[in-house]
Amino acid sequence: MESPANAWKQWLAENGPRLLLFARGWSKSRQDAEDLVQDAIVRMWKYQEQHGGVPPDLPLVFSTIRFCGLNHHRSETRRRKREESVVYLNDFQDVWLDPALEEDEEAVIMRNAVQNLSDKLRDVVIMKFWGGLTFLQISKTLAISPNTAASRYRYALEQLGHELRRLKEVRHAQA
Amino acid sequence: MHKPDSVEAVLSRLIPSALSEGSQSDIEAMIDDLAGTPVEGVTRRKSRMYWMGGSGIAAAGVAALLVFQMASPAISPSVSKPAAIEPELPNVVMLDESDRIESMTDEGWQEDFDGTALRAMRLSAVQENRMLDEETGIVVRISQPRVEMLLMPVSTF
Repeated sequence: MESPANAWKQWLAENGPRLLLFARGWSKSRQDAEDLVQDAIVRMWKYQEQHGGVPPDLPLVFSTIRFCGLNHHRSETRRRKREESVVYLNDFQDVWLDPALEEDEEAVIMRNAVQNLSDKLRDVVIMKFWGGLTFLQISKTLAISPNTAASRYRYALEQLGHELRRLKEVRHAQA
Repeated sequence: MHKPDSVEAVLSRLIPSALSEGSQSDIEAMIDDLAGTPVEGVTRRKSRMYWMGGSGIAAAGVAALLVFQMASPAISPSVSKPAAIEPELPNVVMLDESDRIESMTDEGWQEDFDGTALRAMRLSAVQENRMLDEETGIVVRISQPRVEMLLMPVSTF
Protein backbone atom coordinates (compact mmCIF):
# COMPACT_ATOMS: atom_id res chain seq x y z
CA MET A 1 0.00 0.00 0.00
CA GLU A 2 1.32 3.42 -0.92
CA SER A 3 2.48 5.55 1.99
CA PRO A 4 0.61 8.80 2.64
CA ALA A 5 3.76 10.81 1.99
CA ASN A 6 4.24 9.24 -1.43
CA ALA A 7 0.58 9.72 -2.29
CA TRP A 8 0.82 13.41 -1.39
CA LYS A 9 4.04 13.86 -3.36
CA GLN A 10 2.45 12.28 -6.40
CA TRP A 11 -0.58 14.50 -5.93
CA LEU A 12 1.73 17.53 -5.66
CA ALA A 13 3.58 16.61 -8.84
CA GLU A 14 0.26 16.36 -10.67
CA ASN A 15 -1.43 19.44 -9.26
CA GLY A 16 1.41 21.72 -8.15
CA PRO A 17 1.42 23.86 -11.31
CA ARG A 18 -2.32 24.58 -11.23
CA LEU A 19 -2.15 25.37 -7.52
CA LEU A 20 0.75 27.71 -8.16
CA LEU A 21 -1.18 29.37 -10.98
CA PHE A 22 -4.13 30.01 -8.73
CA ALA A 23 -1.87 31.23 -5.92
CA ARG A 24 -0.26 33.74 -8.28
CA GLY A 25 -3.49 35.69 -8.28
CA TRP A 26 -3.14 36.11 -4.52
CA SER A 27 0.55 36.94 -4.40
CA LYS A 28 2.91 39.65 -5.50
CA SER A 29 5.67 37.35 -6.65
CA ARG A 30 6.37 33.78 -7.59
CA GLN A 31 8.12 33.15 -4.29
CA ASP A 32 5.13 34.43 -2.36
CA ALA A 33 2.85 32.19 -4.41
CA GLU A 34 5.00 29.15 -3.69
CA ASP A 35 4.93 30.00 0.00
CA LEU A 36 1.17 30.26 -0.26
CA VAL A 37 0.94 26.80 -1.81
CA GLN A 38 3.14 25.40 0.94
CA ASP A 39 1.08 27.09 3.62
CA ALA A 40 -2.10 25.68 2.13
CA ILE A 41 -0.65 22.17 1.94
CA VAL A 42 0.31 22.27 5.64
CA ARG A 43 -3.25 23.24 6.50
CA MET A 44 -4.64 20.62 4.15
CA TRP A 45 -2.47 17.92 5.68
CA LYS A 46 -3.78 18.68 9.14
CA TYR A 47 -7.34 18.79 7.86
CA GLN A 48 -7.04 15.57 5.90
CA GLU A 49 -5.62 13.75 8.92
CA GLN A 50 -9.20 13.71 10.16
CA HIS A 51 -10.44 12.49 6.76
CA GLY A 52 -8.36 9.45 6.02
CA GLY A 53 -5.07 11.21 5.37
CA VAL A 54 -5.52 11.09 1.61
CA PRO A 55 -4.64 14.05 -0.64
CA PRO A 56 -7.44 16.61 -0.77
CA ASP A 57 -9.84 17.48 -3.55
CA LEU A 58 -8.84 20.45 -5.66
CA PRO A 59 -11.83 22.69 -4.80
CA LEU A 60 -10.89 22.49 -1.14
CA VAL A 61 -7.28 23.38 -1.87
CA PHE A 62 -8.26 26.32 -4.05
CA SER A 63 -10.46 27.53 -1.25
CA THR A 64 -7.63 27.14 1.27
CA ILE A 65 -5.17 28.98 -0.96
CA ARG A 66 -7.68 31.79 -1.24
CA PHE A 67 -8.06 31.86 2.53
CA CYS A 68 -4.29 31.88 3.04
CA GLY A 69 -4.01 34.56 0.38
CA LEU A 70 -6.43 36.77 2.26
CA ASN A 71 -4.36 36.34 5.41
CA HIS A 72 -1.20 37.17 3.53
CA HIS A 73 -2.88 40.19 2.05
CA ARG A 74 -3.55 41.55 5.52
CA SER A 75 0.11 41.09 6.43
CA GLU A 76 1.13 42.70 3.15
CA THR A 77 -0.89 45.80 3.91
CA ARG A 78 0.95 46.25 7.18
CA ARG A 79 4.33 46.26 5.53
CA ARG A 80 3.46 47.80 2.21
CA LYS A 81 5.28 51.00 2.96
CA ARG A 82 8.56 49.15 3.38
CA GLU A 83 8.11 47.15 0.21
CA GLU A 84 7.36 50.19 -1.91
CA SER A 85 11.02 51.12 -1.73
CA VAL A 86 12.14 47.67 -2.86
CA VAL A 87 12.78 46.82 -6.48
CA TYR A 88 12.54 43.21 -7.50
CA LEU A 89 15.46 41.98 -9.57
CA ASN A 90 14.20 38.54 -10.41
CA ASP A 91 10.76 39.20 -11.80
CA PHE A 92 11.73 40.04 -15.36
CA GLN A 93 10.89 36.55 -16.59
CA ASP A 94 8.24 35.92 -14.02
CA VAL A 95 5.25 34.52 -15.88
CA TRP A 96 2.29 32.51 -14.73
CA LEU A 97 1.69 30.50 -17.87
CA ASP A 98 3.97 29.08 -20.51
CA PRO A 99 2.99 28.76 -24.17
CA ALA A 100 3.04 25.14 -25.28
CA LEU A 101 4.67 26.20 -28.53
CA GLU A 102 7.47 28.67 -29.10
CA GLU A 103 6.71 31.95 -30.85
CA ASP A 104 3.00 31.58 -30.28
CA GLU A 105 2.02 35.24 -30.43
CA GLU A 106 -1.63 34.65 -29.60
CA ALA A 107 -0.76 32.57 -26.57
CA VAL A 108 1.64 35.20 -25.25
CA ILE A 109 -1.00 37.90 -25.68
CA MET A 110 -3.53 35.71 -23.96
CA ARG A 111 -1.16 34.98 -21.09
CA ASN A 112 -0.77 38.67 -20.36
CA ALA A 113 -4.50 39.22 -20.73
CA VAL A 114 -5.25 36.46 -18.20
CA GLN A 115 -2.82 37.97 -15.71
CA ASN A 116 -4.48 41.36 -16.16
CA LEU A 117 -8.03 40.14 -15.60
CA SER A 118 -9.72 41.34 -12.44
CA ASP A 119 -9.28 39.04 -9.45
CA LYS A 120 -12.86 37.80 -9.54
CA LEU A 121 -12.77 36.89 -13.21
CA ARG A 122 -9.28 35.45 -13.13
CA ASP A 123 -10.04 33.12 -10.21
CA VAL A 124 -12.99 31.65 -12.09
CA VAL A 125 -11.05 31.23 -15.33
CA ILE A 126 -8.15 29.51 -13.59
CA MET A 127 -10.33 27.17 -11.59
CA LYS A 128 -12.52 26.35 -14.58
CA PHE A 129 -9.96 26.07 -17.32
CA TRP A 130 -6.76 24.85 -15.66
CA GLY A 131 -8.28 23.46 -12.46
CA GLY A 132 -11.00 21.55 -14.30
CA LEU A 133 -13.63 22.48 -11.72
CA THR A 134 -17.32 22.61 -12.53
CA PHE A 135 -19.26 25.82 -12.04
CA LEU A 136 -20.90 24.20 -9.02
CA GLN A 137 -17.51 23.48 -7.45
CA ILE A 138 -16.31 26.99 -8.24
CA SER A 139 -19.43 28.46 -6.72
CA LYS A 140 -18.80 26.58 -3.47
CA THR A 141 -15.17 27.60 -3.40
CA LEU A 142 -15.95 31.28 -3.89
CA ALA A 143 -19.25 31.30 -1.99
CA ILE A 144 -21.18 32.54 -5.01
CA SER A 145 -24.01 31.04 -7.04
CA PRO A 146 -23.26 28.69 -9.94
CA ASN A 147 -24.93 31.18 -12.28
CA THR A 148 -22.61 33.92 -11.09
CA ALA A 149 -19.62 31.65 -11.62
CA ALA A 150 -20.78 30.87 -15.15
CA SER A 151 -21.46 34.54 -15.88
CA ARG A 152 -18.01 35.53 -14.70
CA TYR A 153 -16.47 32.89 -16.92
CA ARG A 154 -18.37 34.04 -19.98
CA TYR A 155 -17.57 37.67 -19.23
CA ALA A 156 -13.91 36.82 -18.77
CA LEU A 157 -13.81 35.05 -22.14
CA GLU A 158 -15.40 38.08 -23.76
CA GLN A 159 -12.79 40.34 -22.21
CA LEU A 160 -9.97 38.02 -23.23
CA GLY A 161 -11.29 37.85 -26.78
CA HIS A 162 -11.57 41.61 -26.97
CA GLU A 163 -8.07 42.08 -25.57
CA LEU A 164 -6.66 39.51 -27.96
CA ARG A 165 -8.17 41.27 -30.94
CA ARG A 166 -7.09 44.72 -29.77
CA LEU A 167 -3.48 43.78 -29.08
CA LYS A 168 -3.16 41.89 -32.36
CA GLU A 169 -4.36 44.96 -34.19
CA VAL A 170 -1.86 47.13 -32.34
CA ARG A 171 1.00 44.76 -33.09
CA HIS A 172 0.08 44.46 -36.74
CA ALA A 173 -0.16 48.23 -37.02
CA GLN A 174 3.32 48.53 -35.57
CA ALA A 175 4.75 45.85 -37.84
CA MET B 1 -14.70 39.48 -32.36
CA HIS B 2 -13.25 36.24 -31.05
CA LYS B 3 -15.79 33.61 -30.20
CA PRO B 4 -15.54 32.02 -26.74
CA ASP B 5 -14.48 28.70 -28.21
CA SER B 6 -11.67 30.34 -30.14
CA VAL B 7 -10.53 32.07 -26.95
CA GLU B 8 -10.57 28.74 -25.16
CA ALA B 9 -8.54 27.27 -28.00
CA VAL B 10 -5.85 29.86 -27.37
CA LEU B 11 -6.07 29.29 -23.62
CA SER B 12 -5.48 25.60 -24.20
CA ARG B 13 -2.09 26.46 -25.65
CA LEU B 14 -1.01 27.85 -22.29
CA ILE B 15 0.38 25.62 -19.55
CA PRO B 16 0.66 26.62 -15.88
CA SER B 17 4.28 27.13 -14.85
CA ALA B 18 5.68 24.43 -12.63
CA LEU B 19 6.76 24.95 -9.06
CA SER B 20 10.43 25.77 -8.80
CA GLU B 21 12.71 22.89 -7.91
CA GLY B 22 13.46 24.49 -4.57
CA SER B 23 9.83 24.93 -3.69
CA GLN B 24 8.95 21.43 -4.85
CA SER B 25 11.69 19.88 -2.72
CA ASP B 26 10.78 22.10 0.25
CA ILE B 27 7.18 20.95 0.12
CA GLU B 28 8.19 17.31 -0.30
CA ALA B 29 10.50 17.60 2.71
CA MET B 30 7.67 19.18 4.63
CA ILE B 31 5.38 16.29 3.64
CA ASP B 32 8.02 13.87 4.93
CA ASP B 33 8.16 15.80 8.18
CA LEU B 34 4.41 15.86 8.51
CA ALA B 35 4.23 12.16 7.80
CA GLY B 36 7.06 11.43 10.21
CA THR B 37 8.98 9.75 7.43
CA PRO B 38 12.72 9.47 8.21
CA VAL B 39 14.85 11.26 5.66
CA GLU B 40 17.43 9.07 3.97
CA GLY B 41 21.01 9.81 4.88
CA VAL B 42 20.13 11.72 8.01
CA THR B 43 20.82 10.09 11.37
CA ARG B 44 19.55 12.15 14.22
CA ARG B 45 18.37 9.67 16.78
CA LYS B 46 21.61 9.10 18.59
CA SER B 47 22.17 12.78 19.23
CA ARG B 48 18.74 13.08 20.76
CA MET B 49 19.46 10.53 23.43
CA TYR B 50 21.31 13.05 25.56
CA TRP B 51 18.27 13.71 27.66
CA MET B 52 18.34 10.26 29.15
CA GLY B 53 21.21 10.02 31.58
CA GLY B 54 22.79 6.96 33.15
CA SER B 55 20.23 6.96 35.92
CA GLY B 56 17.60 5.82 33.48
CA ILE B 57 15.29 8.68 34.32
CA ALA B 58 14.19 10.97 31.55
CA ALA B 59 15.76 14.33 32.02
CA ALA B 60 13.25 16.61 33.59
CA GLY B 61 12.75 19.92 31.94
CA VAL B 62 13.60 18.83 28.44
CA ALA B 63 10.30 17.28 27.63
CA ALA B 64 7.37 19.61 27.63
CA LEU B 65 4.92 16.80 27.87
CA LEU B 66 5.17 13.24 29.02
CA VAL B 67 2.42 10.86 28.20
CA PHE B 68 2.59 7.40 29.60
CA GLN B 69 0.75 4.60 28.05
CA MET B 70 0.94 0.89 28.55
CA ALA B 71 2.41 -0.83 25.59
CA SER B 72 0.15 -3.23 23.87
CA PRO B 73 1.78 -6.45 22.69
CA ALA B 74 0.89 -5.57 19.13
CA ILE B 75 3.03 -2.47 19.10
CA SER B 76 6.55 -3.38 19.97
CA PRO B 77 7.21 -6.34 17.70
CA SER B 78 5.96 -4.51 14.63
CA VAL B 79 8.19 -1.48 15.05
CA SER B 80 11.64 -1.66 13.63
CA LYS B 81 14.26 -0.72 16.17
CA PRO B 82 16.64 1.99 15.05
CA ALA B 83 20.16 0.67 15.21
CA ALA B 84 21.72 4.00 16.03
CA ILE B 85 20.34 4.27 19.55
CA GLU B 86 20.98 0.87 20.99
CA PRO B 87 24.29 1.15 22.83
CA GLU B 88 23.44 3.88 25.32
CA LEU B 89 20.50 2.38 27.15
CA PRO B 90 20.14 -1.33 26.56
CA ASN B 91 16.69 -1.56 28.16
CA VAL B 92 15.17 1.42 26.42
CA VAL B 93 14.32 1.32 22.76
CA MET B 94 13.19 4.18 20.63
CA LEU B 95 10.09 3.06 18.79
CA ASP B 96 9.73 6.04 16.54
CA GLU B 97 10.25 9.72 16.30
CA SER B 98 8.64 12.46 14.35
CA ASP B 99 9.26 16.11 13.80
CA ARG B 100 6.19 17.79 12.43
CA ILE B 101 5.30 21.34 11.54
CA GLU B 102 2.16 22.53 13.27
CA SER B 103 1.93 25.89 11.60
CA MET B 104 3.86 28.45 9.61
CA THR B 105 3.17 32.13 9.87
CA ASP B 106 4.56 34.86 7.72
CA GLU B 107 5.98 37.49 10.06
CA GLY B 108 6.74 39.96 7.35
CA TRP B 109 10.02 41.53 6.45
CA GLN B 110 12.76 42.39 8.89
CA GLU B 111 16.18 43.92 8.69
CA ASP B 112 19.35 42.54 10.13
CA PHE B 113 22.04 44.69 11.72
CA ASP B 114 23.46 45.86 8.38
CA GLY B 115 20.09 46.64 6.86
CA THR B 116 19.72 43.53 4.72
CA ALA B 117 16.07 42.71 4.07
CA LEU B 118 15.00 39.34 5.44
CA ARG B 119 11.74 37.54 5.23
CA ALA B 120 10.68 36.10 8.60
CA MET B 121 8.61 32.96 8.96
CA ARG B 122 7.49 31.77 12.38
CA LEU B 123 7.36 28.01 12.47
CA SER B 124 5.72 26.01 15.23
CA ALA B 125 6.99 22.45 15.29
CA VAL B 126 6.67 19.47 17.57
CA GLN B 127 9.33 16.83 17.96
CA GLU B 128 7.90 13.63 19.32
CA ASN B 129 9.67 10.46 20.41
CA ARG B 130 8.22 7.18 21.66
CA MET B 131 10.44 5.08 23.87
CA LEU B 132 9.81 1.58 25.12
CA ASP B 133 11.20 0.42 28.44
CA GLU B 134 11.63 -3.27 27.72
CA GLU B 135 11.72 -4.21 31.40
CA THR B 136 8.40 -2.69 32.36
CA GLY B 137 6.70 -2.54 28.96
CA ILE B 138 5.94 1.12 29.50
CA VAL B 139 5.93 3.33 26.46
CA VAL B 140 6.93 6.93 27.04
CA ARG B 141 5.94 9.55 24.55
CA ILE B 142 7.92 12.76 24.73
CA SER B 143 6.61 15.81 22.93
CA GLN B 144 8.82 18.82 22.64
CA PRO B 145 7.12 21.79 21.02
CA ARG B 146 9.28 24.59 19.80
CA VAL B 147 8.99 27.80 17.89
CA GLU B 148 11.57 28.72 15.30
CA MET B 149 12.01 31.93 13.39
CA LEU B 150 13.31 31.41 9.88
CA LEU B 151 15.00 34.39 8.30
CA MET B 152 15.50 34.20 4.57
CA PRO B 153 17.43 36.80 2.60
CA VAL B 154 15.44 38.59 -0.07
CA SER B 155 17.01 39.10 -3.47
CA THR B 156 16.41 42.79 -3.66
CA PHE B 157 18.27 46.02 -3.48
